[in-house]
Amino acid sequence: MSPHLGRRLGLYALAAWFALTLNFLLPRLMPGDPAQALFARFQGRLEPAALEALTVTLGLSDAPIAAQYGTYLGQLARGELGISLVYFPSPVSEVIAGGLGWTLFLAGGALVVAFVLGSAIGAVAAWRRGGWLDTIAPPLLSFLGAFPYFWLAMAAAWLLGFQLGWFPVRHAYGPEVNPSFTLAFAASAVRHALLPGATMVLASLGGWVLTMRNAMMGVLDDEPIRFAQARGLPPGRVFFHYGIRNALLPSLTSFGMALGFVLSGALLTEIVFAYPGQGYLLLQAVRGQDYPLLQGLFLTITLAVLAANAIVDVVVVLLDPRARG
Amino acid sequence: MRAFALSLALLAGCADPPGETPPGTLTVLQEQQAAWVRNFNPLLSTGGARWPTASGIYEPLLLYNRATGETVPWLATAWTWTEPARRLRFDVRAGVTWSDGAAFEADDVAYTFDLLKRFPALDGAGAWTYLESVRALDAHTVEFVFTHPYSPGLSLVGGQAIVPKHAWQGIADPVSFTNPNPVGTGPFTEIRRFDAQLWELGRNPRYWQEGLPKVDALRFPAVGSNDQALLALVRGEVDWAGSFVPAIERTYVARDPAHFHYWFPAVGDTVFLYPQTTRAPLDDARVRQALSLAIDRKRLVRVAMHDYVPPSHPTALSDGYRAWRRDDLAPDGGWVRHDPAAAGALLDAAGWPLGEDGRRANAAGEALVMPILCPAGWSDWVRAAQIIARDLDALGVDARVEGLDFASWFDRVSRGDFALALGWSVSGPTPHAFYRSLLGSSTVKPVGTPAATNWHRYGSPAADDLLAAFEATVDPAEQHRLSDALQAAFVAEAPAIPLFPTAAWGEFNTQRFDGFPDRETPYATLSPNAVPDVLLVLTRLRPRNDGLAERGAAR
Repeated sequence: MSPHLGRRLGLYALAAWFALTLNFLLPRLMPGDPAQALFARFQGRLEPAALEALTVTLGLSDAPIAAQYGTYLGQLARGELGISLVYFPSPVSEVIAGGLGWTLFLAGGALVVAFVLGSAIGAVAAWRRGGWLDTIAPPLLSFLGAFPYFWLAMAAAWLLGFQLGWFPVRHAYGPEVNPSFTLAFAASAVRHALLPGATMVLASLGGWVLTMRNAMMGVLDDEPIRFAQARGLPPGRVFFHYGIRNALLPSLTSFGMALGFVLSGALLTEIVFAYPGQGYLLLQAVRGQDYPLLQGLFLTITLAVLAANAIVDVVVVLLDPRARG
Repeated sequence: MRAFALSLALLAGCADPPGETPPGTLTVLQEQQAAWVRNFNPLLSTGGARWPTASGIYEPLLLYNRATGETVPWLATAWTWTEPARRLRFDVRAGVTWSDGAAFEADDVAYTFDLLKRFPALDGAGAWTYLESVRALDAHTVEFVFTHPYSPGLSLVGGQAIVPKHAWQGIADPVSFTNPNPVGTGPFTEIRRFDAQLWELGRNPRYWQEGLPKVDALRFPAVGSNDQALLALVRGEVDWAGSFVPAIERTYVARDPAHFHYWFPAVGDTVFLYPQTTRAPLDDARVRQALSLAIDRKRLVRVAMHDYVPPSHPTALSDGYRAWRRDDLAPDGGWVRHDPAAAGALLDAAGWPLGEDGRRANAAGEALVMPILCPAGWSDWVRAAQIIARDLDALGVDARVEGLDFASWFDRVSRGDFALALGWSVSGPTPHAFYRSLLGSSTVKPVGTPAATNWHRYGSPAADDLLAAFEATVDPAEQHRLSDALQAAFVAEAPAIPLFPTAAWGEFNTQRFDGFPDRETPYATLSPNAVPDVLLVLTRLRPRNDGLAERGAAR
């Protein structure tokens, strides 16, 4: 491992510790306690005695904060995330596991499609500068991306799902199939992911196109490209080997960031399309002051962001010799 | 690109039609959840168990029917007080079996209460605050003894869901037990399918009511938001729901008036504007009455509640208490009517005259400042608070809405750290619990200590005597007399300002099923949220024989 990489990984470890500690502190700074929050959610349908019952049930601790921090770190080390309060008595890890896969599938898939498609459009637009694609795509896609996402998703659900009935408007798969490794289930899952996935792609495509187009413009003006063209290399080779490879670097860094945020960023999509992912869990956890669930979710998000960035760092080093120094 | 578009169309259009629900399977929308978590523990007070665990899979000894005001025998056939208001004996129904075939006996009842005693976390109703002992006298008789005469104990213990001893006695920690494969006495007990976005509850083949239920299975799709719930309703995918739907005649009923129906009876708890009565000048009943008289409740329910509910009754009792409610106490509405002139006169008399600037101040020159606390995200309550603020402002009172995050709002309200606050109230089969939380000294906690109820912190010695007498008698005539006196005390003392009763939201679709209660046949409350009345509905619904044919014709 190069000293550069080692230093980077050290920084990541420090960032992870900092995030874990914040993660512990933030929920505890909120007013009220979870038993009260849970009691309040019943709006008078629970007997007053239930408030005491809930405090006992949830095992709320009034130990000193330092001791709680110690317990927290110890549990994390063993991979225990505690018991969810909103979904009591299910363990947090179980609750998160239910939504994690679907979010990865939907938001991860949408991100990859948007990245690949956006970068391709951007690269071609820059290659044929002033052509029809270059004239239409960037402004149109930026326009679409500027819509409030919530509105875009609702409009798509209403028009394509409800009025025209082309797509299912909710859920990750149909009621006629059981989750299993069958073709029917896979087809149903893909069919259900198309509309929410498409809205996510549409909303983010403009950004990828612009980033790639601008980077590609810069690269195409560089001396090595002109030298390659002057040497009479085939345009395809110049485009891919000399152009895209260099222009992709800034996009790749943003891709790493976006990959990390996949786990939290699908919140609105999941609410509009009733998609059983983890964005909705986050909302529930905040509403119910579900500290353990909040901590578990933030932890997965933080670690995902850090891991994605670490991977991108490594890939950039492989692609760009200048970063190896 | 063309190939891509083509495959898109293929996937979208003809991969498979949206799943037809099998005949006899009733689709219900009750809980708003984005993903289901498997939990069928009926004893949990946290609400972690799936609906209808406590009144569908499991059952109580008796049901209180909000729509009719009757108490309906269920797992018990009869009950008698062998010592007035202290010793209560239930005759447990014979011929009832658990869904695994074992016989249901009085011992199961005693065991359930024993669990609540050993694990206070499960005793959400607080039964053991009043109970001394629970004993099975023989296979079909169980006796409850209360520590002191407490007649509301009948509904307190009668409403408890009963669990089977033989299946539960091996469970080490019933508090964290998720009971994935429940064994119950209820009409629906068989978990036919369970995954994150859909689960199905099949009928109990051994149900004690011969030939019931007629519905083969209940199906629960996970729907996480109001918009999605409305979408499912108007597409006719849902047979029974308990959602709030704005402008329902236009958004829902108009889509298929022959089949889409709703019924929103105002039988829920009453929403109040609570004055913190330990703070001057809200400790003065005249000031509280003046604030109440200034509020235009008709406009309030139109703007905030879509006119789904009427303004509050002068006694603050909702339609759920029709059998108890007195109309003669304040025929003109008393201080719950809208009368700004009378409000002004009361404030003048209380020492808060109107100044030159149109604001009210006392002799010391202090202005009348009243912030109204309200949870920021609750749009209906926020609208209500804004209307109140405007009405009070017109009276010369400095009222403004202070929207707070839900947790902060509840924290401040429960600690008594407010002047005015919107809040819900307690409800029960008799007005006893309702008025105890409004007037009873026993529910008053010191300011600064979180209170579950009585946030306005008002105790009335006169009402305390009435409440104690109510608890000590099991004679319905005597209870009605005491309830009348409690209502009179509420009207006389004005401890809090009632705004409007809440409705029990319920929608149904008769394309495939009928037997739902509605305005014409109010045999129970329609709303699936109204537990345990839902047992009455669940056992009465039946598939329509012509359902499938009709649906085919509609296509």
